[in-house]
Amino acid sequence: MIGRISRTELILRVSLLVIFFLFFMFPIYWMVVTSLKNTVDIFAIPPKWFFSISFENYWYIMSDDSGFLKKILNSAIASTLNALFTLLLAFPAAYSMSRYKTGGINLLMWFLSIRMIPPIVGAIPLFIIFSKLGLVDTFIALPILYIIINLPFAIWMIKSFMDEIPKEIDESAYVEGCSTTGVIFKIIVPLIRPGIFATLVFCFIMSWNEFLIAYIFTRKEAITAPVGVARFITERQILWGYITAGATLASILPMLLLIIFQKNLVRGLTLGAVK
Amino acid sequence: MSNKLTNILDIKRVKNYPLYMVIPAVFILLLLTIYPFIYLIFVSSHIWPISPTLPRIFLGFGQFTYLLQDPTFIESLQVTIKLMVIGVTIQIVLGTFLAILLSTKTRITSYFTLPFMIPVFISPVVVGLIWKFMFNYDLGILNYLLESVGIGAINWLGTPQNAFWSVVIIDTWQWTPFTTLIIKAGLDSVDPTPIEAATVDGANRFQIFRHVTFPSIAPIFTVALLFRTLDAFKAFDIIYIVTRGGPGGSTYVLGYNIWKTAFYQNQLGLAAAMSVIMIIIATILAFILVRIMKGLLERE
Repeated sequence: MIGRISRTELILRVSLLVIFFLFFMFPIYWMVVTSLKNTVDIFAIPPKWFFSISFENYWYIMSDDSGFLKKILNSAIASTLNALFTLLLAFPAAYSMSRYKTGGINLLMWFLSIRMIPPIVGAIPLFIIFSKLGLVDTFIALPILYIIINLPFAIWMIKSFMDEIPKEIDESAYVEGCSTTGVIFKIIVPLIRPGIFATLVFCFIMSWNEFLIAYIFTRKEAITAPVGVARFITERQILWGYITAGATLASILPMLLLIIFQKNLVRGLTLGAVK
Repeated sequence: MSNKLTNILDIKRVKNYPLYMVIPAVFILLLLTIYPFIYLIFVSSHIWPISPTLPRIFLGFGQFTYLLQDPTFIESLQVTIKLMVIGVTIQIVLGTFLAILLSTKTRITSYFTLPFMIPVFISPVVVGLIWKFMFNYDLGILNYLLESVGIGAINWLGTPQNAFWSVVIIDTWQWTPFTTLIIKAGLDSVDPTPIEAATVDGANRFQIFRHVTFPSIAPIFTVALLFRTLDAFKAFDIIYIVTRGGPGGSTYVLGYNIWKTAFYQNQLGLAAAMSVIMIIIATILAFILVRIMKGLLERE
């Protein structure tokens, strides 16, 4: 599809891209804009394109009444812990599978098949088990459960970064008298540092955004941001101002991380299929 | 055999170290998947209320035979598959189209890639909420725009047919960027020589895509297709936020059905039986994916 294209077609292609750009960006724009309106402006018909910016939704969201900041903090704790747990488990496994082909292709595929399990299926038995252990609504429940979701991703991702380092580099280090630990920490780790960071960030974002497991395994104390936002839908009314403000706050961090780590994150999303 | 086992258990044997490095990951995943799976089958053979004080009654396969005759369950299975097939087809076709647009060789296109990735990386809850707001009949921006161009308001979430398609639109919005990224990566890696040769031979562009480009991106195409298929099979978040399975069961997907049965109607046993059926279907789908991926890896 590369070939040369005419000027008219170029213009056509770019304008189509602009239309799709609007389609993908408008909802996000509308969310942010709505969160900055006061209650009257949110419900104004016709919608107000220009309005005086009001932070009333954010003041409420950040007040102790709503407790939303606590939920953001809970999300941050769960996501950080999970990213660290996952990396600690994934790194040695990925190293072993990349350098020694441990378990061969079958082990790699077993990890992949874990990713295919619908989370709701695991949720029922794990809920009964976690209830018995008294782990429901604790800060440790979500970081552990998200290992199931993130570990297969992380292993594939780190392995795909390691596979790109030529084995000759390891071998020459061994010849120089370097130990295995030396090779791992002085050669592999520095070379795949961007990959390690991307893996951590990827696990962090996946945990941050997760809803179903968080919804089932938290009650009050450990509620995360997505569950908190969803709770603004009440029986009587839907509080759009608070919802859009909460949704914006919950999306800022993933979007910033995406901008910083974009290329390497895509690799995680596709289990290393896209390089 | 026993000799082999003592070798594996010998912690001083350097040859074992690669194995030991894999063990923690494998052990944790087995603990978190295999044990709960066996427990799931156990639960599925009982009437099992959430409250631990209520009695559990053993039924054997009773709940499975019930489910296979339960019209709600059959319907939710149908809705799940319908949503999966329609949604994924649209996302693949649109994704291919967008990937071709994005591989246009001008400086401007590179600025589009990042914004196109955003939907994939924000929470499905957020996505569902924004769209629910935009789909609102009286206050939604979409109906305002439609009315101002003279088309008239649409009851996006009010009728079974419309609600189904609204969910398809939301899913497409969030996941088309994913298929686009994968297919674009495929297009970028295509060797241009055969395309040039075919152009010289006078092939038109559709023929080139069909016979030259497509075969070389086919592997990565299957990756996109199958990843999306399995993820669409798990659908829950957007349904929960936007439609709660309604109206009239038109978006009552399996994931939502299981959640509601277990945690809303308090019937963990019945939900477990549904889960077993869901996991069987997912395994068949995953088996196909793994076979294809394995074939691709071995070809490399």
